[in-house]
Amino acid sequence: MGKATVIPFGPQHPVLPEPLHLDLVVEDEVVVEAIPQIGFIHRGLEKLVETRDYNQFIYVAERICGICAFGHSMGYAQTVEELMGVEIPPRAEYLRTIWHELSRVHSHILWLGLAADAFGFESLFMHCWRLRERVLNIFEKTTGGRVIFSVVCVGGVVRDIDAAQFREIIGTLEGIKSDYAKICNAFLKDTSVRNRTDGVGYISLEDARALSMVGPFGRASGLPYDVRSLGMGAYGKLSDFQPITSTAGDCYGRMEVRAKEVLQSIDIIEELIAGIPAGDIAVPVKGSPAAGAEASMVLEQPRGECYYYARGNGSKYLERMRIRTPTSINIAGMTTALAGCDLADVNMIILTIDPCISCTER
Amino acid sequence: MGGFKLGGMTFRGLFKEPETIQYPAQQKPAPAGLKGHVVIDVQKCILCGICQKRCPCDAIAVNKPERTWTINRFACVQCGSCVRECPKTCLVMEPTYAPPSTSKHLDSFEVPEAQKA
Amino acid sequence: MSAFTQTFAPISIADIPAMAADRKASGWRFVQVLAVNTENGIDLVYSFMKDGALENFKVEGVTKDDVVPSITGEFLAAFVFENEAHDLFGVNIKDIAIDFGGNFYALSQKEPMTVISPAQLAAREKAKKLAAAKAAKEAKAAAGESAAEASEASKAADMEAKLAAMDPEKAAKVRAAMEAKAKKEAAAKQAEKDAAMEAKLAAMDPEKAAKVRAAMEAKARKAAAAAQTADDAKGGE
Repeated sequence: MGKATVIPFGPQHPVLPEPLHLDLVVEDEVVVEAIPQIGFIHRGLEKLVETRDYNQFIYVAERICGICAFGHSMGYAQTVEELMGVEIPPRAEYLRTIWHELSRVHSHILWLGLAADAFGFESLFMHCWRLRERVLNIFEKTTGGRVIFSVVCVGGVVRDIDAAQFREIIGTLEGIKSDYAKICNAFLKDTSVRNRTDGVGYISLEDARALSMVGPFGRASGLPYDVRSLGMGAYGKLSDFQPITSTAGDCYGRMEVRAKEVLQSIDIIEELIAGIPAGDIAVPVKGSPAAGAEASMVLEQPRGECYYYARGNGSKYLERMRIRTPTSINIAGMTTALAGCDLADVNMIILTIDPCISCTER
Repeated sequence: MGGFKLGGMTFRGLFKEPETIQYPAQQKPAPAGLKGHVVIDVQKCILCGICQKRCPCDAIAVNKPERTWTINRFACVQCGSCVRECPKTCLVMEPTYAPPSTSKHLDSFEVPEAQKA
Repeated sequence: MSAFTQTFAPISIADIPAMAADRKASGWRFVQVLAVNTENGIDLVYSFMKDGALENFKVEGVTKDDVVPSITGEFLAAFVFENEAHDLFGVNIKDIAIDFGGNFYALSQKEPMTVISPAQLAAREKAKKLAAAKAAKEAKAAAGESAAEASEASKAADMEAKLAAMDPEKAAKVRAAMEAKAKKEAAAKQAEKDAAMEAKLAAMDPEKAAKVRAAMEAKARKAAAAAQTADDAKGGE
């Protein structure tokens, strides 16, 4: 055993899209312990709820994260609706869920691209992002924005999708499916990819449970937890929903779960489009949340379960809005996965939890 | 398991049309509902100030005595609240982005007196 | 899986470790810890989830002097939130498994979430005013329903309150005056009654009238005697 050395990793590092700092205690190229530190991009967005009323805060909520922007606006709106006892029309629920699943498709394809980039497979990265671009084009046509959509309002959504656009969406998704099958094949079967990911950053099912891991990170260790299976909103109308899990528990397992979830999401979107009811897309919301009223809500974001909490104070400004993002609870799992790995695998392991530090700090 | 699984796709890429465009020379057509920038029809505006109140980023300023409607396009986030809330539907979201600029400036519009019919 | 349900339950600081151990033993999943800055200190909310049931345990009014035990012994993942509650809200949490001692967030200002912004203050005051106005309105409505009986009682109560506010000598005078007034009124009423009775008697046949008069006199004597004893009792006080 060599002497323990501490290697500072980040906040600026080529593999990290966002500032996360790790102190890696290393003995002979093997990481013994990793101590994470965040806090480089705390923007105080939760504090902003005091100066933006509950309708305006939607636009702040969706700026928490650039990739799960839609999920945050949807989760926030659901929480405020719960707080005020608002029932939204079924068509609005369907539309929200369709956009949310499209976000998952684009987020997972983006992540697969980043993973390919992390293990040095540049052309695979480019193919992934090429496909993602088609999803962004759907967003551009249906919502008017590519990343930040601003289509959710408290009480429903502000834009409708017509039948012609639905047909176009299905056409685009079918096109993505055929190309995606080839990309999936490369990710899941290519020898060079398997050599780089098999057995790296292993987490057992017991550890996953003890560390309260969520999302694809937990599901890759066999934890069958997915908020979507609770059947909230339009998810309850699906004929069948089974969380995708893997027993591998390593980087390969996490990649496999995300790769399969893309196809699952496409199936969900197609089913929802086939069964979308006609009707209003929003209900008018009057008044303000009662003083001391509380509501909490969970939503499955691309990165895992996200928890929302709101408390009213009798005015149209909320007293407190709390958004607990999936990454902040997965940090503990990440440090566990890092302990005992090779120094060269650190970037791969960090990437496979799909960290979103901006979300974590808000 | 196997070798280079992406081979076929990469090879076909040699003969396909490129997915990207030569940006400044070619431009992607803007879809109809794109959130580009807010324009005002000054003939219809009644200077009620609802857009200013609803704006989440304080980008709009309505000055009733001077009869001006001012927007800070650098602060605007294209959320479309003003367009939805306008009682006279005088605000519209145009599907073209505001052009880049070398300095920050405000766009101010004079609102003419309402003609009595 | 079962459907989503949520509950909020209050607990005390001392119960936190026992609650965490209990959740751990019965297989609940840790969700999060959050803090809310209120006028009576910090509220902490601990959330756990199992099969769609989301339970929130609320500790209210944690002050700067309170030491909150950490739950990282049971749920390691809580270290992020406990450090966050310490850095952003100044909650004193002891024995965090990975304790950054206030360096988890790189902030230019200490405990930024406890600063009460002018906007928040205004919102709170407005909410209070609204609540007060609502309460007043409700009270008014309630008063309107039982106005008939309440107004009389409230008048008497008002008078009492006024008297209580005055100096004792003056109060005694006022009270005496009031009693005199009451007596006078009573006397006037009695006189009226007597007059009416006289008129009635005049209209009756003489024999019957004599009987009634005798009965009345007896009654009056009784009343006078009662009054005498009452006066005696008053004098004895």
